[in-house]
Amino acid sequence: MSKSYTYYPGCTSRSSSMHLEKSLRAIAPKLGMELNEIEDWNCCGTSVGHIAEGRLPNAALSARNLALAKDRGEDDVVTACAACFIHTHDANEQIREDEGFKADLNEALAEAGQAYDGSLLVRHVCEVMVKDVGVDAIKAQVTNPLTGLKVAGWTGCQTVRPFAATERGGMFDDFDDPKFMRDFIEACGAEAVEFANNTSCCGGSVAVISPQKSLQLMKTILDEAKEREADCVATPCPLCQQNLEMYQDLINKEFGTDFQIPVVFYSQLMAVAFGLNPLTDAALNQQMIPATKLVEMGTK
Amino acid sequence: MTAHLPETKRKYDLTFARWVSRNVHGGDKLNMCMQCGVCSGSCPLGEQMDYGPRRLFMMIRAGMKDEVMKSDTIWNCVACYRSEVRCPRGVPVTHILDSLSVVAVREGYAEAKNAETTRFAKAFWWSAKKFGLTDERLVTALYYFSGGIGEGIRKGMANQKIALRMIGKKRMHVGMPRKIKRRGELKKILAKAVEIENRNDAAAGEEVKS
Ligand code: SF4
Repeated sequence: MSKSYTYYPGCTSRSSSMHLEKSLRAIAPKLGMELNEIEDWNCCGTSVGHIAEGRLPNAALSARNLALAKDRGEDDVVTACAACFIHTHDANEQIREDEGFKADLNEALAEAGQAYDGSLLVRHVCEVMVKDVGVDAIKAQVTNPLTGLKVAGWTGCQTVRPFAATERGGMFDDFDDPKFMRDFIEACGAEAVEFANNTSCCGGSVAVISPQKSLQLMKTILDEAKEREADCVATPCPLCQQNLEMYQDLINKEFGTDFQIPVVFYSQLMAVAFGLNPLTDAALNQQMIPATKLVEMGTK
Repeated sequence: MTAHLPETKRKYDLTFARWVSRNVHGGDKLNMCMQCGVCSGSCPLGEQMDYGPRRLFMMIRAGMKDEVMKSDTIWNCVACYRSEVRCPRGVPVTHILDSLSVVAVREGYAEAKNAETTRFAKAFWWSAKKFGLTDERLVTALYYFSGGIGEGIRKGMANQKIALRMIGKKRMHVGMPRKIKRRGELKKILAKAVEIENRNDAAAGEEVKS
């Protein structure tokens, strides 16, 4: 049985993490998730919007999305992007907890004839997959188990922090050592190697803005992946994926290393394991560092 | 950078702690801090900061406004929220640092206005306001050149290879920027929000004075 969700794709779904969007769209029907996009959604403000114009204007970006989402009539808004999730969720919770803030935002929304009361629940798609879909249902879709593929499950930080272990965050996993990535990897028939850097931070937007500050953080993550002989690193986070992949050359130059470790999304693993096309459905043709072993495991 | 305690001849601004408590989002929880240091110990970039969060919070209590506002701690926060979820006293560490960065810019501190993050944020906001979406290509270019032509070219060259590979993989949009449909609607909402923010700021300023 399929369940319908209001879906917020976020800016990177159209650019740097298009391969997350494509692979998620490919697996969603198999997992009974019907994703209905918010009509005319805008950017969430990411981790810097508030610095440019302040907290209220930044939250106004999310408030418009939430008001448009509310119009769809469903109870949940689901997003796959860690940054979209954290900022939209945060704005939503502040609207619920702070009457003054809610009134201010509604005064702004009224300029466009909109309103929002804070009644939605903002959810991460991984939480939906853990709780609504269930790992067993994921396993049930596997027709092409990824036997022999060693994967380092790297959850990153913002997908689980600070909300995952709160009631409104779904209580779906632990902040410090969440296990859902391991469950997803194993459900796909791959081997989840031990990974102490499970929630290590890549540097986030600091890595984008001032890379030199955070190359060491990423190197630590790559070091462990290599030591564990992982064929690839898998993550749910668009920024983690992008940073760890695009900075490998720079890290190699800086530290004299020779990393060429593919960084994929959990959804790409699932797409291949579900027997979908590894290049088009799993969008593995959009990797900067080719995930050759995973592509070869795909059914063509 | 080695962490150092500021000079003892500093000027204290004793209303600062009260001001932070009222005007910094989450600042009202600062009085819960017991100076245990879990936050600083959990921070992935702690070693690169002037002061870790624990010390910064102590400095707020001590009224060291300038030192706090000029510190690079707020700009080195990667927003991983590890300190926030681990703090035994429920202090929203990341939210406080985040909000302090807004305050430092609004108060006109040069260190804050010129911080790389602030320049990036301005470039980002331009795109969000104009198109309703982040155009990663234009935001990056604008940010690179926000530090001057020379810096723009240097940073641009350093990242050209990455950009070309992203474009090659269709992961960076080229051509006309993508836009939301009802940009006028968003513009009106944002303009009003800015107006309300300024109104609230002015009111809060009056309250502290009284
Ligand atoms: S972890 Fe919490 S209580 Fe401990 S020093 Fe940091 S803010 Fe204060």
